Amino acid sequence: MPETGHSPNAEDLNALYWVMVIVAVALVVAINGALIALALRFRARRGAEPRRLRSRGPAQALIAGAFAALAAVLFVLGVVVTESSSEVEASGDEGLQASTRVTAQRSLDVPSGETEPLEVEASGQQWIWRYEYPDGTFSYYELVVPVDTAVVVKLESTDVVHRWWVPGLGGKFDATPGQSNQTWFKADETGTFEGASYQFSGASYAAMRTAVRVVSVEEYEAWLAQQASDIEAAQAFVQEQVASDTELDDPATEGGGGATEGSTEQGATPSGGSGSAEGTQ
Amino acid sequence: MSAGPNLAPHRPELVSEGPAGPRPRWLELATSTDHKDVGRIMIAGALGFLVLGLVGFLLIRAQLIVPENTLIEPVTFNRLLSVMSVTLVALFAVPLALGLFTYVVPLQIGARSLAFPRLANLSFWLFAVAGGILYTSFVYTPPEAGFNALPPLSDTVFIDNNGVDVWITALGLCVLSFTLLAINLAATIAKLRAPGLAWRRLPPFSVAASVCSWVLLVAGPAMLAGLVMLEIDRHFDGVFFDQGEGGAPTYYQHLSWIFFTGAWLLMLLPAAGAISEIIPALARKPLLSRRAVTASFVAIAALGMLAWMQNMFTAAIPSGFLYGAMAMALALLIPVGVLFANWLATLAFGAIEMRAPMLFALGAVSTLSFGLAAELGHAVIPVNWLLSDTTDATAATGYVLVGGSVLGGLAALHYWLPKMTGRTASDGGAKVSLALILAGAHLTFIPMFLAGVDGQPVDVYKYFDVGDLGLWNALTTIGAVVLALGIVAAIANLYAGVTSGTRAGPDPWRGDSLEWFAPSPPPPHNFDVVPDVRSAEPMRDIRDAVERRRPPRTAEKSESVEPVA
Repeated sequence: MPETGHSPNAEDLNALYWVMVIVAVALVVAINGALIALALRFRARRGAEPRRLRSRGPAQALIAGAFAALAAVLFVLGVVVTESSSEVEASGDEGLQASTRVTAQRSLDVPSGETEPLEVEASGQQWIWRYEYPDGTFSYYELVVPVDTAVVVKLESTDVVHRWWVPGLGGKFDATPGQSNQTWFKADETGTFEGASYQFSGASYAAMRTAVRVVSVEEYEAWLAQQASDIEAAQAFVQEQVASDTELDDPATEGGGGATEGSTEQGATPSGGSGSAEGTQ
Repeated sequence: MSAGPNLAPHRPELVSEGPAGPRPRWLELATSTDHKDVGRIMIAGALGFLVLGLVGFLLIRAQLIVPENTLIEPVTFNRLLSVMSVTLVALFAVPLALGLFTYVVPLQIGARSLAFPRLANLSFWLFAVAGGILYTSFVYTPPEAGFNALPPLSDTVFIDNNGVDVWITALGLCVLSFTLLAINLAATIAKLRAPGLAWRRLPPFSVAASVCSWVLLVAGPAMLAGLVMLEIDRHFDGVFFDQGEGGAPTYYQHLSWIFFTGAWLLMLLPAAGAISEIIPALARKPLLSRRAVTASFVAIAALGMLAWMQNMFTAAIPSGFLYGAMAMALALLIPVGVLFANWLATLAFGAIEMRAPMLFALGAVSTLSFGLAAELGHAVIPVNWLLSDTTDATAATGYVLVGGSVLGGLAALHYWLPKMTGRTASDGGAKVSLALILAGAHLTFIPMFLAGVDGQPVDVYKYFDVGDLGLWNALTTIGAVVLALGIVAAIANLYAGVTSGTRAGPDPWRGDSLEWFAPSPPPPHNFDVVPDVRSAEPMRDIRDAVERRRPPRTAEKSESVEPVA
């Protein structure tokens, strides 16, 4: 039983999965049923003579045509579902409204009703997933997102090829070093979804798991603020330790060094000091 | 003439200590350029590596029998996994198919040897050395980079021991061996057919051999190029698969998938060829349509190779290419459907003799139907996004491996064993081993499907007890034991057939193609006289001619000595 879909694209995938299960089971039952029936019915008996069937062109063409029709139907279904599940939907009413997010960050007036998806950068590294949010805050292992919000997951890797999949929230996609790839989901309820990496990545590959925790918008914003301040506190702590040994490093240059790792889009987000937190990790 | 010391007396004298004694049998076999010897040692080698691969599989299943097991260290598990995968594909499935082709095809087309007899011997030795290198690595560092050693993981930055180099060398030598043998077989079939044996009269197994050779001629060089580039990347500062330096890891994925798609076809097509020989012979009626079967082989090879990207639906590839791959993979349904329909229609109204080859052939048809139906799900992009890289993918491939290489291979071996040795293997032993293999395969792979749908990743050394994963994996491990027992029993049955089977004449199954014209086992030159071929069923013509010359009462046995035509 595949994980129940909790995102519009995952529901599409599951529907087509059941179509394929039915087609496959029907074919297996038909072939094996015929095989057993024929093997029992036409076993060699005394006096039974084999009867040669004449091959007729139309019979072969008919079989080929029937399978071609089935293949064509499956192809069309495949294309339709691929297209529909790749299209990022708008966030729902309960979800995080991009306009408010952008307003809060840039202190700008953005026309209400514009809903840009929440873009999260997921970076595979041996053997953990690192998530970076639009304001530069980051988390490891667990991705926290608001419910009913379209979340675009930008996939990349800092070392080897990884593959991100959280059952119930869509399909699998590669995180290849130096190549950008993406998937999206819009979780329809709060809760935690377990996922993992699905590309062999070396010694501890089996331990490379992940989770998506879907929370309400308020909880998300509170979590994000808490995470940002935790990171800053940790950064300050580390700098204190370093400063007690050596000279105080300039936090600005450290932040600049870390930002090169992120994509340019996120780097451009004017999100203040929290972006520099990356320099310490 | 007159120069130099004149050593010759006026009467030449031959001084000899008698004729040179026979060389040891193993040396004769190992250095033989006879296609029958090369084929036999290749088959024996492949079956040996199948047993080693099964040992690896059972160790892996022992580790996965319960969630979060700590029986085997992660690194050891990854090494077993890498070695087992390359063993089952490159040391068992493809060599078994090629060994059978090498033995049977020249006989079937009325040739006295392969086109390049010495090259065939070299192919065997490349394969044997490759296997030796791979298994010797257990005394130092076995490979651990997964079944296809994708860069960057396989680069020295991430795995700096020489395990990956062992993998590259062993697989490279195997692929070289396959490519050379493919050249040999393609040339033999193109050039050395008996007079009158037109392409349209070529027996299905030889058609499969020809088609498979061309598949390997595409897939082999691609993999060789990929392996050489990988080695250059590892040790000679290459950047072929380094993103940012002008290369890309995806290039290697394409090359390796082209090869592994070819290897997958080498599991399916040789078995399909053997089934298409055995069903008509033992149902006592010809194939419904030889032309349709031949056309499906060609179409399966062409569409299958063009669908290599169906293994890369999760990569960042423009959707046009992915739709193309999906179209090719789904179009495979047409030739595969025609093939199955022809097999079933050939059984209908036949007089089916449930002898060992027929039993294995029917088992192969049934098992292949599971594997190919499961593959169909992976051909559709959105379903592939759900199922790929879970144990569901392993199970689909496993069904094709067991249905094609194992059961198809056993069917072929039981069918041609009388030709190779003059003896038939026991039908009772075949029944027992077939029952074990079928029960074991379903018990292994059906729970694997269910675990995959529950989200168990492929290739993991441990999994967590989510849902029913513990139950599915325990069942799979039990199934694997039964499957392995069945395979070992079938190999034992073959061995018993070789040593003490019932003596068989040259034509025990009343086959239609020319290999049954040669004595069993055939002499080194195969045929004293190569008959003229006047139809697609030359042996039927010969039998009919013999019937006409004889007084009608005797049920004759010695028909093969009569050179007709």
